[in-house]
Amino acid sequence: MHFRKIALATALSLSAAIGVATPAFAQQTVTWWDFLSGGDGVRMKALITQFNEEHPDIQIKGTTLEWGVPFYTKVRTSAAVGQGPDVMTYHLSRLPLGLSEGVLTPITDADLENAGLARDDFFAAAEKAAEGADGTLYAVPFDIHSIVLYYNASYLEGSRFLDDQGKLTGIESVADFEEAMQVAADNGSQTPLTYATGDDGGVYRVFYTLLSQQGGTLISDDGEILPGDSREKAVKAVETMTKWQSEGWQPEQALYEASVALFTSGKSAFQLNGVWEVPTMKDLAEAEQLGFDWGAVEVPKLMDTRTTWADSHAFAIPTQGKDEMDPEKRKAVMTVIGWMEKHAIAWAAAGHIPAYKPVAESTEFAEMEPNATYSSLADAATYDPRSEIAGVASPVYDSAINIISPAMHGYLSPEDAVEQMTSELQSRMR
Amino acid sequence: MALIRNKKRHGLIALSLILPFLAIFALVFAYPLYEVIRLSFTDAPLIGEGNWIGLENYIRLFSDRLFYISIKNNAYFVVLTVIPTTMIAMVIALAVNRLSGRWQALALVLFFTPYVLPVSVVTQIWAWMLDFQFGVLQPVFAFFTGKPVPVFKNPYWVLPSIAVVTIWWTNGFNVLLILAGLRNIPTDLYEAASLDGATRRQLFARITWPLLWPVTALVLTLQLILQLKLFDQVYLLSEGGPFNSSYVLLLMVYREAFQLNHGGYAAAISLILFLLIAVVSVLQYQLLRIGKGKDT
Repeated sequence: MHFRKIALATALSLSAAIGVATPAFAQQTVTWWDFLSGGDGVRMKALITQFNEEHPDIQIKGTTLEWGVPFYTKVRTSAAVGQGPDVMTYHLSRLPLGLSEGVLTPITDADLENAGLARDDFFAAAEKAAEGADGTLYAVPFDIHSIVLYYNASYLEGSRFLDDQGKLTGIESVADFEEAMQVAADNGSQTPLTYATGDDGGVYRVFYTLLSQQGGTLISDDGEILPGDSREKAVKAVETMTKWQSEGWQPEQALYEASVALFTSGKSAFQLNGVWEVPTMKDLAEAEQLGFDWGAVEVPKLMDTRTTWADSHAFAIPTQGKDEMDPEKRKAVMTVIGWMEKHAIAWAAAGHIPAYKPVAESTEFAEMEPNATYSSLADAATYDPRSEIAGVASPVYDSAINIISPAMHGYLSPEDAVEQMTSELQSRMR
Repeated sequence: MALIRNKKRHGLIALSLILPFLAIFALVFAYPLYEVIRLSFTDAPLIGEGNWIGLENYIRLFSDRLFYISIKNNAYFVVLTVIPTTMIAMVIALAVNRLSGRWQALALVLFFTPYVLPVSVVTQIWAWMLDFQFGVLQPVFAFFTGKPVPVFKNPYWVLPSIAVVTIWWTNGFNVLLILAGLRNIPTDLYEAASLDGATRRQLFARITWPLLWPVTALVLTLQLILQLKLFDQVYLLSEGGPFNSSYVLLLMVYREAFQLNHGGYAAAISLILFLLIAVVSVLQYQLLRIGKGKDT
């Protein structure tokens, strides 16, 4: 009897103490995983620090893991046993595989409300890429990132490719672009165009952009690789890239860092690379280490239509093994996501275009250069095919380095390359 | 009575002695092996259970072009490494054996050092040395072929280059094994043969080679198993390219399991690789024994 009384009293006082404490001090710790390194990583860490300072009741505990297959493998295995993060960054191009793995939880309208967001706050293309087949939202898009055409104005001076303000102009076809490269070469540019010709991402993004500009489809909705005349369009894309190679306009077997260095050191007149290199260029220009005027524009219409490969970083909430996430915690996670979206202007400084329209349409962003110049690409972007074998670090990326890059370097004819790519990707489909 | 009890006790003691081994063997070998076999008949993802699909994985595997390319590359790599590395190890061991004292120790250290390095360091060293733009070895290529060669991006160079890196890395261990074999040959034999007027060539052909054969056969078999398990160097240096000219079975297992989440299919491939290694190595060892039957 005596013991029970004490136990009861203790329990009561304990619950009373907790009851009082909960509303004011219940601190939520949100475990956050991302794959952002370099300039992206610095900016994201600054955002997390700022969030933690402003929110005494929610603390983000961030971990940065290795980009690509290692990150996504870790997410898959940890989510399956409930040891994963509470929120993570996720490439929308990777969403189809994520859905087939069952690692993503749906983002409900109630969730969005908790974050102070709504579906139509986002660019339609990004929002659509974040949906499952049935229209359920599985991620909240954070940005749109793409490749853009960087240029070094000093090689184009006096040619028709600079307007009176020194901005790039007059490139409306492959022929124009090749003429511009020739002009740059004549003016002493060693390799007029640089991109990572010896890396998967660099080759894939250029190839996919050229294919999409012809209206080609890499993987159809019912899982056919290069359906119909897309095969010929793919051949044309590889032929174009091969020509740039054999003319000596682009570097041989350049790995990513080397390809960037060719541009920053002033050896290349053009660079086809992601918006994420904008901070590099800005920092160099500010430190006056660049030695030339640079700009970045949306990839011009080289083929039939204006479009560019694009992907999005997004936020997703993984499954927690067999358990459900505590609703309070989920609310805290959504608060984090909502706050990040509304502070995306700091993220835009890393070159990205915010997927959240109120920020993308703000005057602050309109004044941000060169983002404002190329942000028009967001409306005409082509996302990766919605397939389990496409997206970041996927078999499609592998085939770029495994097949297209060797073809560009003359080890395989464009026809054979496309043939091999088709049969290989088709065999990876299930 | 006492005898029977004793027998029983003997049995119990024997059992208690082998039980720890049996338990660990069952836990870390037999059970995983059973699981791999079971998984290979399902469509399981990397984590979690799948449905029983019978032989479908195997049917798919035997019609997968990449599977045959991988087997061919595995075989090519075995040809490029197993016998060359054994021969090089034998030459080095014979040379080292003639040194004595400190010089021998020094030479052994030099040849053994690469073996101590982790694979990531080895591949990093060679990737830098063979780097297309800045590699210190590129002038050598330029001298012989007229221009720099991106060895890990060239379909003809890629596997031979990886073979060179692998031999450089693992040769030290083989040197050690063969040296141990050489030291086991009694010196009286050489003395007796010399007295009978045997030449150096005869000494090697009639004494060293046959008496060393058991060790040589062992090295060849160990190498065969090791080289069939090629993965790290390919993953780190060429990722299977260009156009699959360095794609090997274990890379296929890795890609299917970790990139595409096909646990069951990956299990089927690894089981086939396991059987392949088992059959080939047993076969090779037996053949080598029969070939030199009278000496073993």
